[in-house]
Amino acid sequence: MIAKNRGRALLVAAMVLVAPALGWGSGFALFEVGGRQAGMAGTMVAVGDDLSTLFWNPAGAAFQTDEGFQVLFGATLLWPEQSIYGSSPYPGEVYQADQVKQTFFPPHIFVGIPVNDRLEVSFAFYAPFGLGTEWEDDFFGNYVSKKSDLMVFDLGVSMAYQLSENFAFGIGVDYMVATIELTKNIGLINPYDQRLTDVAEATLKGEGINSDWAWNAGILWKMGGGFSFGASYRSEFTINGSGKASFTQIPTGYADFDGLLGTFFPFDGKVPIEATIAFPDFWNVGLSWQNEKWTVSGQYGVMGWSVYESLPIIFPENPEFSSVRVENWEDAPQYRVGVEFRATQHWDLRIGYLVDETPQPAWGMSPLLADGDREAYMGGLSYHTDRFRFDIAYEHVDLETRSTEGQSPDGFDGTYEGQSPLLHMSITLKF
Amino acid sequence: MKKTIFAISLVALLAAAPTMAQVDLSNYVALGDNMTAGFASASMMDWYQDRSYPAVLARQAGVDDFEQPYISEPGIGPIFELVSLAPVPVIQPVGLLPGLPTNAEYPDIYNNLGIPTATLYDMIFQTGDITNLLQGNFDTVFFDIVLRNGINTALEQAIGMQPSFMTVWIGSNDVLPAVLAGTPIDGVTMTPVEFFGGLYGNAVGALATNTTADIVLINVPYVTDVPFVTSVDPFVDIPGLGRWYLMADTGPLTDDDFVTLGGGALIALGYGLPGGPPLPDNMNLFTGDPGVVLRAAEVDLINVQVDGYNAAIDQTASAFGYPVFDVNALFADLASGAYVPMYGGTTLSTQFLLGGIFSYDGIHPQHIGYALMADELIQFINAEYGSEIPRVDMAEVLFEGDWQSPVVSPAKAKETIMSAEAFQQLYELFPPKLDQAPRIRRPSADRPEFSGRDLRRKPESQP
Repeated sequence: MIAKNRGRALLVAAMVLVAPALGWGSGFALFEVGGRQAGMAGTMVAVGDDLSTLFWNPAGAAFQTDEGFQVLFGATLLWPEQSIYGSSPYPGEVYQADQVKQTFFPPHIFVGIPVNDRLEVSFAFYAPFGLGTEWEDDFFGNYVSKKSDLMVFDLGVSMAYQLSENFAFGIGVDYMVATIELTKNIGLINPYDQRLTDVAEATLKGEGINSDWAWNAGILWKMGGGFSFGASYRSEFTINGSGKASFTQIPTGYADFDGLLGTFFPFDGKVPIEATIAFPDFWNVGLSWQNEKWTVSGQYGVMGWSVYESLPIIFPENPEFSSVRVENWEDAPQYRVGVEFRATQHWDLRIGYLVDETPQPAWGMSPLLADGDREAYMGGLSYHTDRFRFDIAYEHVDLETRSTEGQSPDGFDGTYEGQSPLLHMSITLKF
Repeated sequence: MKKTIFAISLVALLAAAPTMAQVDLSNYVALGDNMTAGFASASMMDWYQDRSYPAVLARQAGVDDFEQPYISEPGIGPIFELVSLAPVPVIQPVGLLPGLPTNAEYPDIYNNLGIPTATLYDMIFQTGDITNLLQGNFDTVFFDIVLRNGINTALEQAIGMQPSFMTVWIGSNDVLPAVLAGTPIDGVTMTPVEFFGGLYGNAVGALATNTTADIVLINVPYVTDVPFVTSVDPFVDIPGLGRWYLMADTGPLTDDDFVTLGGGALIALGYGLPGGPPLPDNMNLFTGDPGVVLRAAEVDLINVQVDGYNAAIDQTASAFGYPVFDVNALFADLASGAYVPMYGGTTLSTQFLLGGIFSYDGIHPQHIGYALMADELIQFINAEYGSEIPRVDMAEVLFEGDWQSPVVSPAKAKETIMSAEAFQQLYELFPPKLDQAPRIRRPSADRPEFSGRDLRRKPESQP
């Protein structure tokens, strides 16, 4: 008898889980592909002289055939920190919360195999997108996101060919595999005490292999006088993923209220979900100059985040839970500059600086992902012999302090601030 | 001398800053009815009074001496509580003994002059005498509690306060009896529009003439936007029989008709169902028993009446240059879902019991609904006057919980949405007015005087 609109109200309240997580490049991109490139802010598009070029410009590998069979592998340690300072009406002016401190270590492995002195075939494994957010216990934004983890792995194969002594091109295909897990709470007004109460925890988890194909290409031109020009492109791709959602009931202490919720939420077992996430293309142009001791490199790139217009999450068997989150991101430019100084026969030093503009509109910031323009400073060094190299770089990323300006569609307004130290390490072995 | 110089420079300072458009709530008076009093779950009770929209507005504006006629738990009438939710919700008044006034000794006029049950007519002409209540008479209880002195009406007391700022939200009770009785009759359960319009102009004219306050007028919401009207379906789905449209004494209901929460108890007894007696559609004019059905045409009648009031409010507002806070649109948008308040991923709606805005009587908001309204009103005032009153911290409100953890044991004596006792209490609070004559004033003995207030000014008659 009660409640013409019960289903609708619960349903709106239960609006489901959404977009991915805090990365440390704009949006949720990662550029963690090697200790050397990190030390010079990733300015490898017009340098391309180690295997991290497989990410930045596949053409670079064509100039490495004389290095023999080589492997570059390593990882980056990230310790992102983020806080929100709330504003009214929700979560309120006095509210402040922090993300749980987490450590991430996206790995990278690149293998270069010279076929002849002009052609190199390479294999790559790394994470171009990803990371996670997790907020402290009793976080007021739990109904938007409690914890999220997203990782996209790129399994790539590419070939690079040296057309002339000064000019090479490279092309590659990438098999992109995504893993995702998002958790949030569902809160309703408890009709007994009129208090906002957690009634369920919802978890969305990708299942099986959610993947898509992408491709990449680049050119590298050694113009003479120490100058090089490079350009590269990595294509967009779209993960049409499937997975399962589970709803775990959080007892409220009122048996009949809990029972009523049980008639609405599928608390027993898991229900299928489908989600679509579009990932951006990425093009770069770079110019570098080098002599025996120095390399100076600058680079401009754009990530085509405007493909990320919305995030539909479909519950084919429970359409009342389906939702579409509007994102309306914009293409985001980035500017990088790096310097390498080859100090001795075995030691190199480098520094870099980058500005990475956010693709996310201010209103779209949420506990799931609150992005802002990034500015990063880095310094690194390498020790190398003929067949071995160890690279390490320290990077500090400052995230712009940025307010939702009272426009959050989640009704979760405030100012986010964040930063992250990153430690990049890699080893190169040449055989 | 120093003092004079200080005063002069203060005046100069104030005069020199006219561009700092601000609104001064230091002496804020709220005129109105149940909604202004913070009435919730069929009761006037301190916990909700403290969370009434005028109290929240005053607090947000930094005013800490906003005085109200507090009543102790469980309020007057005893507040409704949800006793059990399933299989069918049961709502009962908490106990039988009402609460008592706890701020009756306050020696001045209250800032919150919202009087539960007051119509526009009452706001202008009705007095109240606390001694009447102290003698055990509950016939004009809310007037006695709020107005106290037996001499001055709410309008006169508001003028006596010489407020710096006012809100006036009156008119809901001019149609509410039509809803509670399930019967719109112009002049009986609804105040005629012409009468309302004339009175409204007079009342606001009196405020304009006799005060210098900034005044925000608040219009009247549609009664069909409240869960008291929208929560019970006009049909039941009976296994084996299919959909059965409830039978009223005027014929079967249709999808366009409404059964009020007052009908819940009757349906539980078999009224309207196959083989049962029909639901009373309309008020029995001889016994005064309410009807519990609002036909589509009746709803239209009531809403047209509200439109008439609101046109009069708009007209008066533009005549005097006062802004109108369109609470009618706010509640209409909330009810239709055109506006879904979203706080950190959770939403509020006008849905009964689960929506978070309305209290257990299905007509009045509870603290969350009043806070939402205060927040909207603050945004309106800020836009209108260029002020910067901070918005309400809704997280604090949402996580606070209501006035008590329910200790009432789930006594499922009557399986009904609103128990018959609860409905009777509500109906008696807002009875149809079979005439509009002013009530007789009590003798003037032992009336408290408000020192320093000139309450003898009478309303001007013309806008």
